[in-house]
Amino acid sequence: MSAGQGEGSERYFTASGIPLQGWYGPSDVPAQSQEAAAGPPGVPPYVRGAYPGMYRTKPWRVFQLSGHGNPEDERERILFLLNQGETGFIMEHDRNTADHLYNVDHPEVVARREDVGQTGAVIQSVSDYETILDGIDMGHYYAHPGGAVVQHAPFALGCYWTVARRRGLDLSRLAGTGQSDFFLTYLGCIPKRQIPTEAGVRLNTDIIEFCGQYLPRWVPVSIAAYNAADTGLNAYQELAALFANAVVYLDEIKRRAPENLAKLAYMVGGINLRVAMDFFEDICKMRAARKMWADLLRRRYGITDPRATRLRIHIVTAGSALAYQQPLNNIARGTIMAMASVLGGTQSLGVATYDEAMSVPSEHAHQMSLRIQQIIHHESNIPAVADPLGGSHYVEALTAELERRAWEMFEEIESRGGFAAVLDEGWLHSLAAVNQVNLAEAVNWGTKTMVGVNAYTEDVTPWEMGGFEPVEGVWEKSMERLRSVRRERDGRTAVAALRDLESVCRGDGNIMPAVMEAVSAQATLGEFGDVFSEVFGDWKVPISF
Amino acid sequence: MESADLILSADQPGKVLFAKTALDGHWRGPAVVVHVLRDAGFEVIYLGMATADEIAAAAVQEDADLVGLNVGGSLAVVMRILDELEASAPDVGVMLGGTIQPQHRSALAVRGVSTFPPGSMFSDIVEEARRLVEGRRRTREDVTSA
Repeated sequence: MSAGQGEGSERYFTASGIPLQGWYGPSDVPAQSQEAAAGPPGVPPYVRGAYPGMYRTKPWRVFQLSGHGNPEDERERILFLLNQGETGFIMEHDRNTADHLYNVDHPEVVARREDVGQTGAVIQSVSDYETILDGIDMGHYYAHPGGAVVQHAPFALGCYWTVARRRGLDLSRLAGTGQSDFFLTYLGCIPKRQIPTEAGVRLNTDIIEFCGQYLPRWVPVSIAAYNAADTGLNAYQELAALFANAVVYLDEIKRRAPENLAKLAYMVGGINLRVAMDFFEDICKMRAARKMWADLLRRRYGITDPRATRLRIHIVTAGSALAYQQPLNNIARGTIMAMASVLGGTQSLGVATYDEAMSVPSEHAHQMSLRIQQIIHHESNIPAVADPLGGSHYVEALTAELERRAWEMFEEIESRGGFAAVLDEGWLHSLAAVNQVNLAEAVNWGTKTMVGVNAYTEDVTPWEMGGFEPVEGVWEKSMERLRSVRRERDGRTAVAALRDLESVCRGDGNIMPAVMEAVSAQATLGEFGDVFSEVFGDWKVPISF
Repeated sequence: MESADLILSADQPGKVLFAKTALDGHWRGPAVVVHVLRDAGFEVIYLGMATADEIAAAAVQEDADLVGLNVGGSLAVVMRILDELEASAPDVGVMLGGTIQPQHRSALAVRGVSTFPPGSMFSDIVEEARRLVEGRRRTREDVTSA
């Protein structure tokens, strides 16, 4: 028997298929990993944590996805979460409208009008942002005011920043992120109309440069490899795709303004990963991600500025790991995933709610996600020491193996023409699809046990849990607001601003000043969509069924 | 499928029209279900995000034996699709999966629609699809012989 084979004939693997030994010893840890593992947190390559004091000096941000219904409903839920201890806030937008850049009077939306507001709030103008943000201290909280979708981000950010300016806030003091994530709508959740990837890269780089100039505390794009992972990519594929995406921005910044590269690289280094139910693999993935970012910047761009090479991570726990059956079991799953996130050294955390599989979160489900985080923070004593698992032979060996596999796939993406090419050609989609089917089959055939789903299915919960019912009549109210915006705005100013936006889009200047002007002139979501669609055309969806 | 009797023979292919009801492009769930149905011998036409009108028109045009819906929104939108189908393709059965609020399942059952939330077993999905195909064929035979 070799050193770590362990007892038993059954073979064990991580969720991403890495074979596991029964136990690990010092010889399983590569030499260079031993060196990194011996160092302190807060110094490159940051395997042991992003900051020297970790949670002693900087608790992770409690940051939950939220939003439904009308702007008033969105506001109410945000205030509820902040009162319950959330330390940043997120504005979730209605998929039907925001993903496609449709106003509610678009025929596609009218045909399904009752769906409007079920997956997020309907937000069509800067006035809607004013309503949501009424009474919320924008200068105090880190915010994700929407714009997770690449083509939606200019509008969402433009609205949020315009409200801040109207309040007399200094943009340079604002903190938050719009996300602008490719994995969301080019991989996992593909809308009916969407600008091509090339145009998306241009918009995102514009946002990065604009933030570099005016919003130094903003994370202009937060690559959300979460979305890649929850679509099906495994842990090392998630890392590879993340960094393949990052170099697209970095290369483009370098092409535009090499003198700003180190400064703007810092702004690209706020990212989002997924933590699912392979406890150690996901902890190791976070550790590997920090090291890979520092190595990538140094090797590929010669950047060693410790501020730039420090990767900051936001974790969302896996929605797809939660079950519809016996939903309270998801509180246990959420706790396990949240613990992994903290042990991996996250800077920010959202715990998917226990009713994830049935509806948008109820207030109680949201409260539970906060309480899970607060119990870990205040009661478990886990946050007292940085990287408490560092030095474990298993954790160091698995961190190194994930890194090795991720670089291998990163190289493959590069050799296939880079990130945009593998999205355009559907290569990442096919990898995700294989994993989706394998996982579903494993649960179906019982080779993977999912408690309450394919085992232990008897349930004595004394009541039946319902999903959250979002408010009704959202479409009608949204139509009223849309009409009132169109009635009350200076039509000529709005049209002129949209024409300016169109001409900037056709040129190569930064779009954000024109976006801010158009938003201020009460240009609506759908009008932004029409401009983008007109100028950039539509992305050709690379998958079919 | 574990038991061979769940697999339709090649000369009795069932034709499934599969659509998403909401303007929500998540495809992970539908991809798995389409795979499962094809694996069991069904012909599946994937319509993607479609309106009630489009689904009903496609069901007629394709002569679908059943319609599979992936839902992620309100019950009212699903009910509109059921109404349209009842009007234009009354013999076509419907089954439904996705993020279904538990309290909506009985209202759908009343309309004869079985619901398959996340975690449903493949055999249950295939069995229901077979039942719907057979139901439609029986209805047609009755009509023909009458």
